[in-house]
Amino acid sequence: MLGKLLKYDLKWVYKVVTVFYILAVFFSLLGRFFNNIENSVVFSAITQFTFGFAIAMMASSLINCLMRLWARFIKNLYKDESYLTHTIPVEKKTIFLSKVLAAAISVFTTAVVIIVCLFICYYSKENLQALKGMLEIAATTYDTTVVNLLLLMAFVFFLEVMFMILIGYVGIILGHKSNKNKMTKTILIGFALYMLTQFVTLGVVFIFGLFNQSVMNLVNTTDIVNMEAIKLVMTGGIGLYTIYIAFYYWLGKKAFQKGVNVE
Amino acid sequence: MDYIFDNERPIYIQLVEKLRIEIVSEKLKQGERLPSVRELALIARVNPNTMQKALVELENEGLVYTERTNGKFVTTNKELIDKVKKELAEEKIINFLNDMENIGITHNDAIRYLQELGGNK
Amino acid sequence: MELLECKHLCKEFDSKKILKDINLIIPKGKIIGLLGKNGAGKSTFIKLINDLLIPTSGEILINGKKPGIDSKEIIAYLPERTYLDKEMTIKQSIIYFEEFYSNFNSEKAKKLLKDLNLDINTKISKMSKGMQEKLQLILVMSRTAELYILDEPLGGVDPATRDYILDTILSNFSDGASVIISTHLISDIERILDEVIFMNNGEIALTSSADELRNSEKSSIDDIFRRYFKC
Repeated sequence: MLGKLLKYDLKWVYKVVTVFYILAVFFSLLGRFFNNIENSVVFSAITQFTFGFAIAMMASSLINCLMRLWARFIKNLYKDESYLTHTIPVEKKTIFLSKVLAAAISVFTTAVVIIVCLFICYYSKENLQALKGMLEIAATTYDTTVVNLLLLMAFVFFLEVMFMILIGYVGIILGHKSNKNKMTKTILIGFALYMLTQFVTLGVVFIFGLFNQSVMNLVNTTDIVNMEAIKLVMTGGIGLYTIYIAFYYWLGKKAFQKGVNVE
Repeated sequence: MDYIFDNERPIYIQLVEKLRIEIVSEKLKQGERLPSVRELALIARVNPNTMQKALVELENEGLVYTERTNGKFVTTNKELIDKVKKELAEEKIINFLNDMENIGITHNDAIRYLQELGGNK
Repeated sequence: MELLECKHLCKEFDSKKILKDINLIIPKGKIIGLLGKNGAGKSTFIKLINDLLIPTSGEILINGKKPGIDSKEIIAYLPERTYLDKEMTIKQSIIYFEEFYSNFNSEKAKKLLKDLNLDINTKISKMSKGMQEKLQLILVMSRTAELYILDEPLGGVDPATRDYILDTILSNFSDGASVIISTHLISDIERILDEVIFMNNGEIALTSSADELRNSEKSSIDDIFRRYFKC
């Protein structure tokens, strides 16, 4: 049943997001094409303009992906369609898991598309060298290669987006428990949870800082950034996001399994 | 058979009445196999349970019988059919005579009118 | 074990009591009319049976179990609203039902749709409201269920459509199943009812066999209802 649900969830999200993927790739290629033609002022302007479009489409891919995931959650589980979704013989936890997996998959592909588009737009030996140079210091302090560092950054970005989507899901579930002002409550709860979690993060960093002077220095001094501390914060961040995601998944599942009050 | 019901009386009783008339008027022939309860219910646009109840009633009267595997059939008992027909006729005539009486026509006059009109038909 | 049993079922919205202490048993093999004015609590009651609302107190048991995947397997529910993804075509909606309901008979659905002269590749959003409702009715009645729950299937339809809907219900519900039809248009359906439940102000005002009620009151269910609630 999970597979079938997931198929319908993904289909709905990709129906629009794919269009933005195609546009992003198209403008990236077009920009690259103009970039390669001639080095005149006119073409340079057109190139910049096209790249601008490409970047806008990449951003739209991500924003639309998020929006459609949330919209699908509300439409499919609390509006007219919910009368069907909640009356097919499928466990509530499976329905919820499908929505979370749909998010993971579509955010992942969006990230891949964005990386590919950036590559199309800006890849050249010189740029790569420049990037390498920029990241080299970081990479050495992290004791890793530049590629691994880029992947690590992409992974943190992925976790951050997943965390936001899950906060949204939980906000929707809790906001739609009540009978009135469902949407307002959803937004308020989502925002409150987000802020609360950020405070927890700060708290954790602070407590950690009590035991580790270099981390504390990151927060309360303007000294030159200590790479060792950043490394700690990065790994800590991945750990924290993973815990948050697990927590909100558990919370959402639990709240959702208690049942729904559809309109 | 038209199936317009009077919602003020139990539907199954009205069904029994209608089916009884179908049988005595031989629209449903003697020994004829009846459609399934479900089909009959659909024709009459009623609940199969109601049709079932009506058929049980007709079975109790002996106008319909069940062959265990083949379904329900109209009785072949000519005497019974004639008897029911007579009863129905009596009922109608008594009603008719009562109606006549209500508008001030005696039984004898009513019978005379009947003969005149019946003769003209 | 009863097909459906409610014990002291209550539902409140913002501390407003919509359903008050509903106790009810729905037996197998009956067509039951859930009759009441608009706002009497019929839809709320039906939504509770279908796990679309959480009871405030009391319980609902379907074949002895609370609403869940077992009850959803055997209940075929037709809500008042269009619940299909309107971006789908008719064919896709049939596939959806086929995928999620093991007791869905897609051949039957296709045959019934053919009788309506509907092209199976039509998008649902391109169909009229009336046609969308007929499509839903066909999908629901093409399931071999134990309990059909139809919420206001006759709301605002013309007499020809009303006959079509009643015929579709009568000719397609599976043998031995029960059917609950909620409506405020009693005269249209009372001929097919075995049992009636009168609902008023969130309470069960009366339950009876339809014929017994007609016999004892010597009038139609519709008249009895009107007298009962003086509307």
